Amino acid sequence: MKLYKKEGNILQIISFPAESAEKGDYLLVEDQDAAKALIAQVIDVQFAAVPGVLEELLRTLPDGGEPLQGEDIDPMEIAPHITYIQDASLLICKIRATLENEMLSPSSSWLPSRSQSTIKKLSIPMLMKLAKIDGKLPIILGGTKDSSLLTIDASAIDGTLNIITGKKGCGKSHLSKLLMVNLVGYRATVVIFDLNGEYTSLGMSNDGKRNMYYDKIHTLTPGQNFKVALEQLHLNTVMGILVNALHLPGTSAREFRRIWKMLKEKGKLNMQELGEAIRDLNCNQHVRDALASRFHSLANSGFFTDCPGEATLLDESILKAKDQGGAIVINLKNTSNIDRQIVVEYALGKLVDSLSNWKLKAIFLFAEEAHLYLRETYWDDIVTRMRHFGIFTTFITNQPDTIQETIYRQADNIFLFNFTNEHDLDVVSRAARVDAETVRSIARDLPPHHCLTLGKVVGDFPIVARVRALDIKTMGETRLFFKDMN
Amino acid sequence: MVIEQYTITEKYNFPQPTIDTTLPQRFLEQSLYSLKQAQHQPFQLNPQTFQQLNTTEQYPSSIQLKPEPIPIKPDHQETLIAAVDTSTIKIGETATGMIIAVRGATTWKQNRAYKYTRLGPFIFHITEENKNAVYNTLEHAYFSTSYGASHQAAPNIMQMPTRLASLLERWLQTMLAKTVNHGIILFDGSLISGTIDTPVQRLREILSYARRNNSTVLAFSKATTLRANGILITEQLPNHDPPYLLETTGIHFKSPIVLLGDVYVARLNKANLAFRLDIDKETPVEQRMAAIQKLIGNDLYTQSYPETLRLSHILCTFTANEVLAIKHFITRKHGIQIINRPDMHKLLFGPFSKGEIYA
Repeated sequence: MKLYKKEGNILQIISFPAESAEKGDYLLVEDQDAAKALIAQVIDVQFAAVPGVLEELLRTLPDGGEPLQGEDIDPMEIAPHITYIQDASLLICKIRATLENEMLSPSSSWLPSRSQSTIKKLSIPMLMKLAKIDGKLPIILGGTKDSSLLTIDASAIDGTLNIITGKKGCGKSHLSKLLMVNLVGYRATVVIFDLNGEYTSLGMSNDGKRNMYYDKIHTLTPGQNFKVALEQLHLNTVMGILVNALHLPGTSAREFRRIWKMLKEKGKLNMQELGEAIRDLNCNQHVRDALASRFHSLANSGFFTDCPGEATLLDESILKAKDQGGAIVINLKNTSNIDRQIVVEYALGKLVDSLSNWKLKAIFLFAEEAHLYLRETYWDDIVTRMRHFGIFTTFITNQPDTIQETIYRQADNIFLFNFTNEHDLDVVSRAARVDAETVRSIARDLPPHHCLTLGKVVGDFPIVARVRALDIKTMGETRLFFKDMN
Repeated sequence: MVIEQYTITEKYNFPQPTIDTTLPQRFLEQSLYSLKQAQHQPFQLNPQTFQQLNTTEQYPSSIQLKPEPIPIKPDHQETLIAAVDTSTIKIGETATGMIIAVRGATTWKQNRAYKYTRLGPFIFHITEENKNAVYNTLEHAYFSTSYGASHQAAPNIMQMPTRLASLLERWLQTMLAKTVNHGIILFDGSLISGTIDTPVQRLREILSYARRNNSTVLAFSKATTLRANGILITEQLPNHDPPYLLETTGIHFKSPIVLLGDVYVARLNKANLAFRLDIDKETPVEQRMAAIQKLIGNDLYTQSYPETLRLSHILCTFTANEVLAIKHFITRKHGIQIINRPDMHKLLFGPFSKGEIYA
């Protein structure tokens, strides 16, 4: 390989057919005289602009596009040399760091010698070693192209905002399960908003037997084993549900607050009494109608019960998960849009409550397709305010434009699967920890189950890895009509 | 020992198995021999293509162009059209000489498909010391009959690329003339002989081989300096629908130059281009006309120039990519190191330098 050009932080390297380099590979451009080296990542592979190639190709097509047939008698065997030159490729590489005295710096301000520099491939383990990506809490994400393992440290996910995105069926949920079970393995508390009921079997292995996480997975299905009694709720939590999920106007909210206090003083804080109190309320008709409609929404959700024995508090599951680690899967499958918002509002309110009271140190929240249940104002809340309470969120989506730009800008880690749509790639490339060229070029060509990991977990060295298999019962498969017919 | 590693592949039997491959064999041997002498020498890359021009063309003042065109009707009877061309390029310079490459191509159209055979490239390191040996060895390899030793004596080193290419071209023409039956053989250039690289007897022999096989040789010149009444013969086109030929008369060259063909101006289609066409003098007029009619009935001629001949030219021409490959070959296989000597013109005249050619 030969160094050809440097423009800004882009290197152009000429590579010959014997020196195979692909997108995502790392190269070390070493200038021994300068005692420095550039670490660059291949973000695109193009044909080198070899002069005369066009003529070479054109002359084999004489007329009508039919290739010209013939025989080349080449006694000196020049043809392999022609092919060698013709097949030379141009590697477009992004400079990631400068290596000097075994220390990495993000600088790309110096120019290595074009004639004297040596260029060789840098293996992922060596890169990880140089970048000092190690730790006491390893999570093996998968295997890289050079057959080494991509291992990240769980502490690099701690306190961070993460995004897992990619088009449908490329393995996003699989990766989030992998992260979850590993975090649970390190005794972390994980809460999952499970939109499709995919995570409910995290405690089962492929063969249907219980796995090592079985006792740590707590599935809560609203209306079934997840109900709450009003008397167990704090007014703020209920107000959050009414105002944010059910959009109760201010005047009506004030009225509701009054009713709540009145019922509490009487010791009659339950759904039946609340319904009657609203019905008998002597106030403006519009206010009463507004409160009545919200009450019916609450009642129809099946999430609220008047029987304390039936109520399962989130706190209980949190307490179970707190000491030994565990995942609380809030199963939102078969839940209507309004009910989903009620449940999420309740869950987030309770979590903030538990965290602000130091009942919990921190939790890892995994939110699948969060735009379907998270109100607009919560996005910023989650990445700013809630982060300080100790809610570290991972968003999982196949529609990257549903996540606000501010979230991308603040994301610490992005696990990017394949996208072919330019618009999707544009959205993801707004992330602060990644350059647009890398996202556009590498993500477009990622095979299924391969993930481009960007951000803090990989020391800001984007790395492509095939996500490793998990012995967990798959629940995320799409139901197919023709499946049994083949 | 090195030479033994390279042999002309046995499948080279174009188009008959009885072809004598001595010349390409000698080309290869001389090529390797000359390159061996250049081993470990520094080498300055300086690609330069040589045009094989008819520099010996003289301008007889008595040329007349018959004003009456000879109309041609395309004859679509299936006929083999074959053509030959060679190309040479100077790859660069060494301290003692220069490195050149030579290649030849024959193309033919049969059953409505174009096919080709390319021979080469052969790469030579030509020096003042080896130029005679290289040239004479090749001269004698195939053309075992010496047509006057004086012709081969001491070619100028700068003429060596075109001389070697010419030698290969004549050999390829001979091969076609010997093997094509009832066909049309297209040459690039004229049928002028008696020049330093085309002895009269050699060209005469080639034409006689063709006649013996009932083939007709048509030689197309891309450029000519022949003028009638002071105007180029190819620029005196009558107002007549093509295709047609214009006949010339009164072309006589001074000794030793001998013209073995009759010269025509051929305008084969509506493109406002015409070419000088030489047809073997000894071919009967009817056969000449039949040949040209079969040519336009069988070949393409989009620019008024036969496609088969155009392909021969295109196929033997060296592209920049091939020059790089040859450089790669001589560096890797023969240890000849490329050096970048300063360009004196650029050094002295900077932006006012126009290169050696204009010096």
